[in-house]
Amino acid sequence: MDKQVVSFNLNGEAVRVRCDPFSSLLSLLRDRLGLLGTKAGCGRGECGACTVLLDGLAVNACLVPAGKAEGLNVETIENLSRGGSLHPIQEAFVEKGAVQCGFCTPGMVMSAHALLKSDPAPGREEIRKAISGNLCRCSGYVQIEEAIAAAADKLKD
Amino acid sequence: MEFDIVGKSTPLLDGLEKVTGRARYVTDIRMEGMLHGKILRSPHPHARIVKIDTSKAEKVSGVRGIITGFNVPQHKFGTMLQDWVILPNDKVRFVGDEVAAVAATSEAAALEALELIEVEYEVLPAVFDQEEAMSPDAPLLYEDKDDNIATTFQVERGDVDGAFAESDIIFEDDYETSQVYQAHLEPMAAVVAPADYDRLTLWLSTQVPSMSRLRYAEALGVCAEDLRIIKPHVGGGFGAKFEYKSHILAAVLARRTGLPVRMVNTRDEDFIAGNPRVPMKIRVKLGLKKDGAILAKDVRIIAGNGARTVYGPAITSTACYRIDSLYKVRNVRSVGYTVYTNMIPTSCFRGFGNAQMHFAMEQALDAICHENGLDPVEVRRINGVYPGYVSIHGWEIKSCALQECVDQAVEASGWYEKKKTLDKSGAKKRGIGMALCNHVSGNRPFYRPFDGSSALVRLTPEGKAIVFTGEADLGQGLNTAFAIIAAEAVGLPVKDVRTAAVDTDISPFGLGSFATRATTIGGRAVYEAAVNLKEQLVSHIAKVYDEKPENIKVRKGEVALEGKGETLPIFDVMQKVSFSLGGASLVGQGSYVPDTVLPDENKYGNVSPAYPFACHIAEVEVDTETGSVNIINYWAAHDVGRVLNQQALEGQVEGGVIMGAGWALMEEMIVKEGHLVNPKLHDYWLPTSMDTPIGKIHSIFLESVDPNGPFGAKGIGEPSLNPVAAAIANAIFDATGARIKKLPISPDKIVGALVNKKL
Repeated sequence: MDKQVVSFNLNGEAVRVRCDPFSSLLSLLRDRLGLLGTKAGCGRGECGACTVLLDGLAVNACLVPAGKAEGLNVETIENLSRGGSLHPIQEAFVEKGAVQCGFCTPGMVMSAHALLKSDPAPGREEIRKAISGNLCRCSGYVQIEEAIAAAADKLKD
Repeated sequence: MEFDIVGKSTPLLDGLEKVTGRARYVTDIRMEGMLHGKILRSPHPHARIVKIDTSKAEKVSGVRGIITGFNVPQHKFGTMLQDWVILPNDKVRFVGDEVAAVAATSEAAALEALELIEVEYEVLPAVFDQEEAMSPDAPLLYEDKDDNIATTFQVERGDVDGAFAESDIIFEDDYETSQVYQAHLEPMAAVVAPADYDRLTLWLSTQVPSMSRLRYAEALGVCAEDLRIIKPHVGGGFGAKFEYKSHILAAVLARRTGLPVRMVNTRDEDFIAGNPRVPMKIRVKLGLKKDGAILAKDVRIIAGNGARTVYGPAITSTACYRIDSLYKVRNVRSVGYTVYTNMIPTSCFRGFGNAQMHFAMEQALDAICHENGLDPVEVRRINGVYPGYVSIHGWEIKSCALQECVDQAVEASGWYEKKKTLDKSGAKKRGIGMALCNHVSGNRPFYRPFDGSSALVRLTPEGKAIVFTGEADLGQGLNTAFAIIAAEAVGLPVKDVRTAAVDTDISPFGLGSFATRATTIGGRAVYEAAVNLKEQLVSHIAKVYDEKPENIKVRKGEVALEGKGETLPIFDVMQKVSFSLGGASLVGQGSYVPDTVLPDENKYGNVSPAYPFACHIAEVEVDTETGSVNIINYWAAHDVGRVLNQQALEGQVEGGVIMGAGWALMEEMIVKEGHLVNPKLHDYWLPTSMDTPIGKIHSIFLESVDPNGPFGAKGIGEPSLNPVAAAIANAIFDATGARIKKLPISPDKIVGALVNKKL
């Protein structure tokens, strides 16, 4: 496929990268830009492990063509703990035991991040809906839901 | 006993790297010059390989190596039976069977090459159902065998026929459990690179680093020492991640090309060629006295092994007789056939056959109670084992809080009240159901040479400790549990202890994470190593500070010299101790070899150092018009021996219950003529956050303090799932009168059963 230059804002920084615009944003992030925090679980938008924010909305990076990022803001898990300290969502995930194998965690955290940006005080039902596209096989989701509720409280303070 | 760390909630010590995305899994490994491996898989369930032509594929730019059954050795090896080859040159036996493997400089080149490999097949008749495969005229999978029965397990004890003759109640029924997919979020993965001294380094997503090393050495015709296995973070296993063909193919390609090879399953490949749960057809016959005391049990199991043996036979034997240590039955007969079919090879999945048998047995008891006006709680109480009980097969129950689990679950759930008052008047009916469970914490016959574990705990000159173990953290929190054990035993804050990633060049041998053994057996070895370290530490402090050993107390990272009335930070003390030894760290070493025996030819002998127990109660609401089931409340009372990490235990129970609920109600690998129809997470319905009775899983932990486990702890991984499907099935029956004996309990089956009941 012909390559073209795609320009977008990645975690607050302007990037220009020559790539196949029809390849996935996930492979651009992981294989070209070395951002391995975003996990690849299925490559088909079924597991949510590769969730990133595209102009603030949670998307499966594996389903987004790289060219689609042109001119947009892409935020990945790596942006949440810039400067060395954990984001309150990340803190809450650790504290509440919402992390087991950790493979779904970056995607789960990003879905929670998108939710809390748009709705700072979500109810339990909204939380469940927000992560319904993120599969977790370890936790049974209970502690994840608690962590997101706790993160909302932290962010309020 | 007062503990500083044990029993509290300790957030996972590797949580930081996991929430930041910094944790590296095998799928994240990138190396200079790394090739991408891809596997050509059989499109046929059963076919003779006539010819393989790789000439066009070899010409694809970037292809560095292609292997087929015609250019690799054909020696047999295997996990339990010798029915594996690296790649076959005679037949393929399931859709997904490995035919060829390619390594190329890009994934695209590897995929292009796969398409250009020409394989001529002669399609053969195939058999998919394990019972049909037993028939004398079924197509044979292995022509050197007389039939498709891979193994037969038989055990008989007591006077079974006599006991049935004495029984007041005789019950017989058939149950069928399904083949389901573990669906670990990280797919099966390996990266293999050539290393110095003509060795290979294998980064594997595995539950069994040391065992894989032995098996792969056999497959590759090298010494185990020629292989170095490193297990980084693993994205879940649940029984799937044992010895695996693609790891071996990656190793062969790495050796042939002299370059690192990455071999990661696509999700489809994981579905069609992973190692799903062994499906079973289970006939249960029980004889009871009129008060419900079980006199006799007779079981016949026909289990689907798939096209080659992974751990199917061990799983069938577990289903045949492990539950005889849950109930005090003295007259038992079991026969279990593990049968080859032209289906995906099946293997371990949380519960290891015991979960399958619980589905049958716990529903059978429920049905017996219903038919004979008995109280299911009382029947379980009078039959349940107790501390000190020795099963008919010689299994020695030491710690056991089974009765207490029943008491607490019954009380917390309001069982008797709910039995009377749950609303069954409308189209949506409520019901409540119970199931008990037992399991092992280690299974002596799994690896025939031995069971046991060893560990090292190293205390650095800065007073921080590192645990070295060969047991595998898959995400369940084992590394944190080991740090808790070491920290408590030495007297350090848990934040100053870490568990090193398994690396067979450095770590002790560890059989791995299966049979709910790692916390109990591996943890006990860590405990012994920590105690050994502490003895060394105290004796060195005594020397360096001229203090009597009995006056030295180490706790929470502080060293009290009680004779001198001084308290010093461990950092200061270890600096002195270490410098007095030329900068050495102190290294504690410990082993634990359980007092278990390899069962004799009659299958007699205690297999596990500790047995966990549980009582689960499910409250459901069934929509009788649509057949949909909601879990309203769920109580899980577990005898865990000792709580090591409250939060992680709750996570294990919640995860096990939801996984069990998925197995019970939703998950199904739909196979038509050997082809999996739904090899996609969208079509294979895993529980999502919307399916979880969130906030309504009530975990109850009982501490029976096992004499063998570290601080008394027993395992939790599998017991959390074992009783779930039966508890839910029993609750559905209570709600509706529909008794569903074949998994999954899907809406169509419920509605169908209710329609049939009315007719």
